[in-house]
Amino acid sequence: MATAVVARPVARPQPRARDEEVLVWPDLIFIEFISALVFTVGLLILSTFMNAPLLDQANPDVTPNPSKAPWYLLNLQELLLHMNAAMAGIIVPTVWLILLAAFPYFDRDNEGQGAWFATENAWRITIASGIVAFVGTWVLILWDTGKVAYFLHAWFGLSGGDTLRFLENVRSMQSQLPWPEWSRSITYLPFELRILDGTGRGGPTTFQHLDLPAWLVEQAIPIVALVGLPSLLIYTLWRMGWVVSRRDALLALFTGFVVVFGVLTLVGTAFRGQGQELVLPWQLKVSEGIPGQEAH
Amino acid sequence: MAVEAPPKPTLADKIYDKLFHNYVWKSIFRTGYPNTPRNQMLIVATNVFLHLHPTRIHRTHVKITHTYCLGGLSFFMFLGLTVTGILLMFYYVPSVERAYLDIQNITTTVQFGQLMRNMHRWMAHAMVILVFLHMMRVFYTGAYKPPREFNWVVGVILLVLTFLLSFTGYLLPWDQLAFWAITVGSEIAGSAPVLGPKTRFWMLGGFEVGPNALIRFYTLHVIGLPLLAAIFMAVHFWRIRRDGGLARPL
Repeated sequence: MATAVVARPVARPQPRARDEEVLVWPDLIFIEFISALVFTVGLLILSTFMNAPLLDQANPDVTPNPSKAPWYLLNLQELLLHMNAAMAGIIVPTVWLILLAAFPYFDRDNEGQGAWFATENAWRITIASGIVAFVGTWVLILWDTGKVAYFLHAWFGLSGGDTLRFLENVRSMQSQLPWPEWSRSITYLPFELRILDGTGRGGPTTFQHLDLPAWLVEQAIPIVALVGLPSLLIYTLWRMGWVVSRRDALLALFTGFVVVFGVLTLVGTAFRGQGQELVLPWQLKVSEGIPGQEAH
Repeated sequence: MAVEAPPKPTLADKIYDKLFHNYVWKSIFRTGYPNTPRNQMLIVATNVFLHLHPTRIHRTHVKITHTYCLGGLSFFMFLGLTVTGILLMFYYVPSVERAYLDIQNITTTVQFGQLMRNMHRWMAHAMVILVFLHMMRVFYTGAYKPPREFNWVVGVILLVLTFLLSFTGYLLPWDQLAFWAITVGSEIAGSAPVLGPKTRFWMLGGFEVGPNALIRFYTLHVIGLPLLAAIFMAVHFWRIRRDGGLARPL
C-alpha cells in the first residue's frame, strides 16, 4: 500500500502545551458572561410569571396534613417512614456525607480524569446501576407501604393469608410474627444508662432495654438493606467483569446514590399525601387543622 | 513613494475619543480594550475581579459540555442571592410579630418587591440544584482524583452549607409552609442519638419553633452561613488554581 512506502517522519514535533491553550480573555470570560446573562434573564422571566409561595401566617395550632420539610430534605423524610428516626434523619446522611468526602482517598488512581465517563465500562456501569437503583427503590417503597401485597391480591388474586402476612411490609414482621414476650424487652445492661437528662421531648434516654423485633425492623433490616444492596450491586457488576477498578465501584455507588436520592425526593414531594400515605400526585391534597376536624 | 496621510477622524471617532480617552475615564480604566494577546493576559492577571482566573487555559476547558459552567453558575447564584437578599433585608424584620406582615408588605407595596422575593426564592432553588449537578459533573469527569482530593472535600462541605443556607432561609417568611417545614426538619435533627434533643434545642433556642428560632435562623442565614460559605468558596476557587486548573486526561 502507498502508505507503507511513504514513511511518516519518525520524530513528529510534539504539540507545545502553549499551542493547546486559549486565552481566558476573551474565550472564557465570554462564556462566563453569557451563561450568567442567560441565567439572569431566565430567572427574571420565571420570577415575573411565577410567584414564590406564601401561605397563611404561621400558626402552631394548625398542623397542615401532610407537613413536609423543604423539598431537598424530603428524601430524608421519606426514609423516616421506613426505619428508625435517628438512622434515617441523622446516621444515614452523616455516614453518607463522610463516605462521599472520602471518595478521593479511596480511589487514588489518577487515571480516567478530566473526561466524562472515561473508564472503559463507565457508561454501562452508570446506566445499569441507575436502572437497578431506580427499580429497586420503587419496589422497596411499594413493598414497605404494603402496595406489593395489595397489587398481588387485587390484580392476581394472590393472597398469603395469615401465615404470610408478616411479609406484607417491614413493620408487619414486628407485629405479625409470634415473637416471644421476653424478646420484646431484653435487658442487656444491668443498670440504667442515662446519657442525657430529659431536656429533649423524648424524655430520659435509657439504653438498657432492647425490643428485639422493633430493633430488627427499625435498624437491623434497614442497615442490611442500605449496606447490602449497594454491595451486592457492585459485587454483581464485578463478577460480570464490568467493575474492574475502584473508580468503577464508585461509579456504581455514586450513580446509585444519585438515583435513590432522586426517587426518594420525588416520592416524598409528589407521592405522599395525608398521613404520609402513598398516593398518586394528582390525588395529593393538603388539609389544615387537627386531624378529624380540619377546616376546609 | 509618498507617505499616505492618515484618514481624517470621523464624527464617531471624535465621540469615541471624547468618551474614552478623557482624564476621568483613564483614571478608572488605565488601559483601553485589550486587543493584543499580551494585554488580554495582563488584564486577567491584574484585574481584581478576574485574577482568580489563570491567563490561559487548555482549549478543551472552554467547551461548554466539559463543565456546563455549573460551578461558576453556583457561585453566580450565590452572588445574585446576596444582592436580592440585601434588598429584602431593607424591609424585613425577623420578629414573630412583623415577619409575615413584612413579607406581605414586600410583595404588595414595595416597588419590585415581589420580583425581588421571587428572584431570591427561585435562585435559592436553582443554587441547590446547580451545586448538586456540579457535584455530579465533578464526579463523572473524575475531577476529584489526585491532586484534587481535598478540593472535593471542600466541595462536600459547600454542598452541606448550601443546604443549610436554604434551610435557614425557609423559615423567614413565617407562613405555614415555613413554620411546619422547619418543625419537621428540626425534628429530623432532633432524632439524632444521644445529642439529638440538645442539638434541636440549640438550633431552635427552645423546644418549639418560635421567636428564638426565627432570630437564630435569620442571623445564620444573612451573616453566619454566608461568611462561612465565602471562606470555603475562597479556598475552593484558590485550590482549583493551585491544583493546576480543571482536570485533564493524563
